[in-house]
Amino acid sequence: MDVIETTTTRSGPVPSIRAEEKKRITPKRPRDYVAWAVAIAIVAGLVWTAVTNEKYRWPVVFSYFTTQTILNGLLVTLLLTAASMGLGTLMGLVLAVMRMSHQRPVSGLAQLYITFFRGTPVLVQLVFWFNIAALYPNLSIGIPFTDISTPVNVNAIMTPMTAAIVGLTLNQAAYMSEIIRGGFASVSRGQHEAAESLGMSGFTKLRHVIIPQTMPAIIPATGNQVIGMLKETSLVSVLGVADLLQSAQAIYARTYQTIPLLIVASLWYLIMTLVLSVPQSMIERRFSRSTRTRLTPAATSAEPGAGQLVPPTRESLL
Amino acid sequence: MNPDGTIVARKLCKSFGRHQVLRDIDLTVAAGEISCIIGPSGSGKSTLLRCINGLETVDRGVLKVNGEDFGYVEKDDAYHAVRPKRLAEQRARIGMVFQQFNLFPNMTAESNVMSGPVLVQKKDRVACRERAQELLASVGLSGCGHKYPAQLSGGQQQRVAIARALAMEPTIMLFDEPTSALDPERVGEVLAVMRDLAGNGMTMLLVTHEMAFAREVADEVLFMDEGIAVERGDAREVLANPREKRTQAFLERVL
Repeated sequence: MDVIETTTTRSGPVPSIRAEEKKRITPKRPRDYVAWAVAIAIVAGLVWTAVTNEKYRWPVVFSYFTTQTILNGLLVTLLLTAASMGLGTLMGLVLAVMRMSHQRPVSGLAQLYITFFRGTPVLVQLVFWFNIAALYPNLSIGIPFTDISTPVNVNAIMTPMTAAIVGLTLNQAAYMSEIIRGGFASVSRGQHEAAESLGMSGFTKLRHVIIPQTMPAIIPATGNQVIGMLKETSLVSVLGVADLLQSAQAIYARTYQTIPLLIVASLWYLIMTLVLSVPQSMIERRFSRSTRTRLTPAATSAEPGAGQLVPPTRESLL
Repeated sequence: MNPDGTIVARKLCKSFGRHQVLRDIDLTVAAGEISCIIGPSGSGKSTLLRCINGLETVDRGVLKVNGEDFGYVEKDDAYHAVRPKRLAEQRARIGMVFQQFNLFPNMTAESNVMSGPVLVQKKDRVACRERAQELLASVGLSGCGHKYPAQLSGGQQQRVAIARALAMEPTIMLFDEPTSALDPERVGEVLAVMRDLAGNGMTMLLVTHEMAFAREVADEVLFMDEGIAVERGDAREVLANPREKRTQAFLERVL
């Protein structure tokens, strides 16, 4: 039997430890290998069926991948995304400001809008706007109580493209306003008070103190909305807008190559979302709440405050 | 007489809903005087301070800061609230230091100090930067100008906050429990800066729990409880020999 070495402390002997440098090993358990085996089996099965099932018609997929019709559709999809995202964000900003107003009628109106547009499916909204002429066949735009007015034929202006942009924008505005409002809510009351006690006007306070601090909450969420919107635009194909999906459908309506063309469309959507997710994840790393703070380079020095968490927003505003 | 640096309040009343937090408060602070407001939490001390720079509005009573009606104008037998622009001008002459520092986290220490003069007083940026460096040096933080608030300790942040308020060249400095959120070992450095300031003749009104500091630096002490100004007088006198029962009970508990 080993004689256990002891060290005597004031309250009695304790076993002493010899410092030895040895590797520590955590043994792999069966479930680690099983997880790998199952995952490999699933992926292999998917690849196998994709290669051996000739009905996928991969040659057809590749031959249509860059045809003019598909590329035009791609362009329409991108334009729709940009237009409805841009307009939706602007309108969302207005709605967010209204929603935060201390005047009850103003905030109530914004609340009503948001509830309505978030509470009904965007597909229904799109079809609704396309058929709005059934409700209001003629609008007249003019100055109230004067004779100056221009009649507008709603049927003529509400083309599928207009309906698509209007529908997606109005819907997006409701979501964006909530994101923007959340950004403002994330800035503490004390920041407003500090700016006000320095005598800053409302505009200066927002521009230099509050808005820069809302960005970490708003920008990553907006990036997600862009990616979501890109896919959401495929809904406009029901209106006959020649977007990516509708272009693919137009081709397979003639050639009956349904599956290969849906694959073409899917691959393009996938490529676009992957391309967008690169800047998105960069932005997220810079701004997102969970990674908002990081260690300073001076973390090892003994200086007071070194090694504390720092927000990564590094721009100096002055 | 130059009324700069004076605060006069008569019968100030303030309620939050049904809860009356200030009941007929009288307060006089002469130029260059240092006054401390003490009392248990919820007694209305912070609210009183916040009324003096317009972070809260007063329901009733008269408030004159720097000799001017603060936040309202008297017209036709009534007090009319002033426009936001005028209120901002009046506030710019009053420095405020918060319990939670409230530095702008998106700006460096130097930019925080410059923010008032540059953004509000529209002064020359280069001159303001120089002045900011001087102010940071005067609170013992030369060389910390490029750091962001999150890189500074609580005591350092509070000293930057004091420098930021001083950059506006205020006639009055208000302190709302400036050391309550600090580690005990950081309290001293902030009090040292405040002691310097007091020595330079700045009018100061502070809400504090630092009784030793109050005894050492303050000219006057106001003890508040449940929205009432219970006792007011010479700082050393009130702290050593309080006349009122409630003051005695409070001081026994905190000293």
